[in-house]
Amino acid sequence: MPTSSARRTSRASARRAGVAPYLLVGPAVLVLAVFGILPILVAAGVSLTDLNIRGLGDPSTVEFVGLANYSRLVADGAFWNALRVTGILAVVGVPTVVLVSLTIALLLHTSGGRLAQALRAFYFLPAITAIVAVALVWGYLFNSQFGLLNHLLTTVGLDPVPWLSDPTWAKVSVGLVAVWRASGLNTIILLAGLQGIPHEYDEAAQLDGANRWTRTWRIQVPLLKFALFFVTVTTVISWLQFFDEPYVLTEGGPNGATTSISLYIFQQGFRYNQFGFASAGSLVLLVVIAVVTLVQLRGRRLDVD
Amino acid sequence: MKRLQSTAVAALATTGLLLGLTACGGGDETPAADGGSTELRVWVMGDAGKTLTEVTKDFTAETGITLKIDGIPWENVNDRLTTAVASGDGPDVVQVGLSLLPTFADAGVLEDITEQVKAYPELDPSNFPDAVSPQALTGTDAVTSVPWVSDTRILFYRTDILGEAGISAAPTTWDEMRSAAKTLAARGDGQYGYYIPLWDNTLPVQYTWQAGGDVIGADGAIDLDTPAFGAAVDHWTGFFADGSAPTASDWDQTQGFISGATPMVVSGPYLARAIDEAAPELEGKWDVATLPTNVTGTSLFAGSNLAVWKGSKNVDAAVKLLAHLADPEVQVAWYEAMSELPTTADALETVAAADPKVKVYADQLADARTVPMVPGWDLAANEMATALTDIVTTGADRDSRLAQLRDKVAEIEKNY
Repeated sequence: MPTSSARRTSRASARRAGVAPYLLVGPAVLVLAVFGILPILVAAGVSLTDLNIRGLGDPSTVEFVGLANYSRLVADGAFWNALRVTGILAVVGVPTVVLVSLTIALLLHTSGGRLAQALRAFYFLPAITAIVAVALVWGYLFNSQFGLLNHLLTTVGLDPVPWLSDPTWAKVSVGLVAVWRASGLNTIILLAGLQGIPHEYDEAAQLDGANRWTRTWRIQVPLLKFALFFVTVTTVISWLQFFDEPYVLTEGGPNGATTSISLYIFQQGFRYNQFGFASAGSLVLLVVIAVVTLVQLRGRRLDVD
Repeated sequence: MKRLQSTAVAALATTGLLLGLTACGGGDETPAADGGSTELRVWVMGDAGKTLTEVTKDFTAETGITLKIDGIPWENVNDRLTTAVASGDGPDVVQVGLSLLPTFADAGVLEDITEQVKAYPELDPSNFPDAVSPQALTGTDAVTSVPWVSDTRILFYRTDILGEAGISAAPTTWDEMRSAAKTLAARGDGQYGYYIPLWDNTLPVQYTWQAGGDVIGADGAIDLDTPAFGAAVDHWTGFFADGSAPTASDWDQTQGFISGATPMVVSGPYLARAIDEAAPELEGKWDVATLPTNVTGTSLFAGSNLAVWKGSKNVDAAVKLLAHLADPEVQVAWYEAMSELPTTADALETVAAADPKVKVYADQLADARTVPMVPGWDLAANEMATALTDIVTTGADRDSRLAQLRDKVAEIEKNY
C-alpha cells in the first residue's frame, strides 16, 4: 500500500515525463492499429455484407445481410471439415514440432564443436527456403508415378504409398513437410534458451553426481520453460493458421482431406470472390485462435502461481 | 535534457512512420497520353509478354502507340483482377481466359466496344467461331471482348502401344473408348488405358454435351438432373470402376503418356508441346484424333479473349491493338511462337494446312463449346468434380451423392 507521499512523487514523475512515453509507444500502437486492428474491424464489417467482385467494382450493389454469412458457414459441411482437418493436424503437429525441435536443440547443445555449428545452419535451412521450391522438391519426392520415396520403398520390397492421393496419407505428407519446415526456427530459439542457462547449475548437478539424463530432465528442460512456452504458443498459432503446405502441395485435396481452415477461407475469398462469406470465416478463425491462446496463457499463469 | 531528447526521438519516429504510410498510399502513374505517344498498359497471361513484344513491333512503328506489357502468372490472375477492381487501377487491354470471362463481366470491368469494333473488318464477329460470338458469350450483341487464341480438347493416343494391344485405330465412339481402355489396362500391374484428371471439371460437361444434353437448363440455371448428365456420370465413373483409369490425384499426364502407363488422354495443344519437349524420341509413336462420340462429339472450346478495361483513357488505341492482333498474319506468327491456336478462320486454315495434327484441332474446334457463362459456375463445377471423385475414390453412393451435389449447386446459385 503506497503512502500518500509516494503517490505524490509518482504523480509528479508522470507529469514530468510529459508526452514522451506516448510518443515512444505511439509508432508501435499506430502500426498495430493500422495493420492489425483496422483490418479486423473492416473484416468484421464486411462479414455482415454480401460483398463479392461485383460489389468491389460497384459498391452500391453491396447489401447488408446481417448474420446470414455466419449461418451459411455453420451449415456448410466443408467448413466443419476444414475445422476438423486443422484440429487433427494441430493436435498431432504441435507436439511433434516441439519434441523434434527440443531434441535437436539438446543434441546440438550437448555436442558443441564445429560439426554442431554446421548442423545448426543445416537445420535452419528449411525455414528460409522458399515455399515454392519446397513444394517442387517434396512434390517430386511424394509423386506416386516417379517419386523417389516410392522408388526406395519398392526397392526394399515394400508396397508404394499413395503419399498425396489418399486422404489419410495426404494429411501425413503435408504435416511431415510442415514439421520439417517449422523445426529449424524453433530449434534455434530453444538452442538460444539452452545457451542462456548459467553453466554453474550444470556443474553443481554434476558435482552432486547427477548423470546426463537427469541433468537434462531436471536442470535444462525446467530452466527452458519460458522458451518452451514461447515455442508452443507460436507453434499452436501457426498450426491453426496452417496454409502454405496444403496450398502448394495438394491444393487442399484429395477432396478436401488437407483443406485447412485458412485454405478454406482463402478459396472462398480469393478463388470464388465471396469476400463477405470469407470474412465471416476469418473472424471465426480469429476467435478460435484468441481463445486457444488465452487458455494457454491462463494455463501458464496457474503454473507459475 | 534527456527528456527533451527522448521527446524529439519519439516525435521523429512518429513523423517518419506517418510519412512512410502516406508514401505507400501514393504512387499513382497514369500518364496523360498526349502528343501522339500513347502508351497502352497490357496484361497478358503466363509467359506471353516476350512474344507479344515481338509481334507488335510493326504496330508500334506504324501507329506510334507503345505498349507496357505485364505477364501475369495464370494462378495469380484472380488476385490481380480483384486488386485492380478494388483499387480502380487496371490496364488498358487485358487477356481474359474464357473460363474467367463470367467473373470479369460480373466485376463490370469490361468496356463495351461495340461501336469502336465496327471500324475494323478484322474484328467482325463473322471472322470468329460461333462458339465465341458475342451472342454465345453474353447473350446479347454487345461486344465486350474479342476472341484471340483458341484451345480445344482432343484425344491423344500412343499408336505404338495401341497397335501392340491389337487396336489399329483411335476409338471413335464411347463404347470403343471403353473397350480400348479396358484392353490397354489389362497389359499389367500399374498399366492403365486412359487418364482422366480428377481435377478437370470440364470433362463431365463435355460428356454431357456428347450425350446430347446440356448442364444449363432452358431457364438459364444450372441443371444437373438430366438423363444426359446421368449418362455422362456413368461414362466417367465407368473408366474408374473397371480399372481403366488411375485414381491417383497427383498423376502426371505428360509422364503417364510418355511412359505409356496411360496411353490415351484427352488434352489440349499444350500437351503436344510438352511431349515434344520432354520426349522428342516419341515422334511418330503418337497421334491425335477428334473426341469419341456418343450422340455428338462436342468438345470444350477454351482459349482467351482480349478486352478493354472499363474506364481506359485509350479505348480507341486499345481497339486498334485488338484489330492488329486479330490480323491473320499476326495470329499465325503467334501460333508459331507460342503453339496457341488462332481464332480467325483464315489463320486457323493456314496453320491447319501445314500440320495434320493441327488439322485435327481445327476440325474439333468446329464442334466445340465454351464452359457455361453463368456466375458461380466455377464453384459449382468444382463441387461436381468433387462429387464424381467421391464416387470413384471413396465409394460414395452414386444417386445420393448426386442429389447432395444438386442441393449444393442450388445453394451456390442462390448465393451468387
